[in-house]
Amino acid sequence: METLFGLIVILAVLIGTAFSVIGVIGFIRLPDVYTRLHATGKVSVFGVVLLLLAGLFWTPVSPGKDIVLIGLLLLAAPVASHAIASAAYRLGIPPQQLMRNDLAEVVEKENDPTPQG
Amino acid sequence: MIETWVEWTLIFSLAVHIVLTGVCVWRVWRGQNVIDRLIGADLVGTLALAVLVLIALIERTSIYFDVALGLAALGFMASIVLAKYLADQRVL
Repeated sequence: METLFGLIVILAVLIGTAFSVIGVIGFIRLPDVYTRLHATGKVSVFGVVLLLLAGLFWTPVSPGKDIVLIGLLLLAAPVASHAIASAAYRLGIPPQQLMRNDLAEVVEKENDPTPQG
Repeated sequence: MIETWVEWTLIFSLAVHIVLTGVCVWRVWRGQNVIDRLIGADLVGTLALAVLVLIALIERTSIYFDVALGLAALGFMASIVLAKYLADQRVL
């Protein structure tokens, strides 16, 4: 039983570390702010959540904390990335090679002071 | 016998995460614009969270998960408030 848990822990930790490394490499190498945000999302979701899954098997006491932390992370990471991306767009950082731009009208509507309705 | 393998992978992963945190801190120091630094700060928070979880795994106690829970909540909140401040230069 113990060896099974041990194998699971080894696999989860290695895959989690691999995702963290890939995320940070993406954070450094990618050209644009928005693509960098895409890379950092991986670290916080896959890297840490897999480590927590390893924690579920390895630490003997109270698995409840791990599940709460996994839930919090899966909720928090996308929201934070979304907030930073919208802040970057409103700051005027030009996204490169843009296929579609749905945010342009929203920002115009915000900026022009004419009262609607 | 499996414990030694698990111990070695945990220590290896901890070392890798510490190196990654260092790289991120250097990147925050050298960021081109303010959003890069904000992303870097968020990333440093996440990697610190990973280091905490790894320490919990190495020590086999679950006390560190409380610290990690607090760090996750606060780090996330900090990113949101900073992003909002940067977006329209006024807080709340």
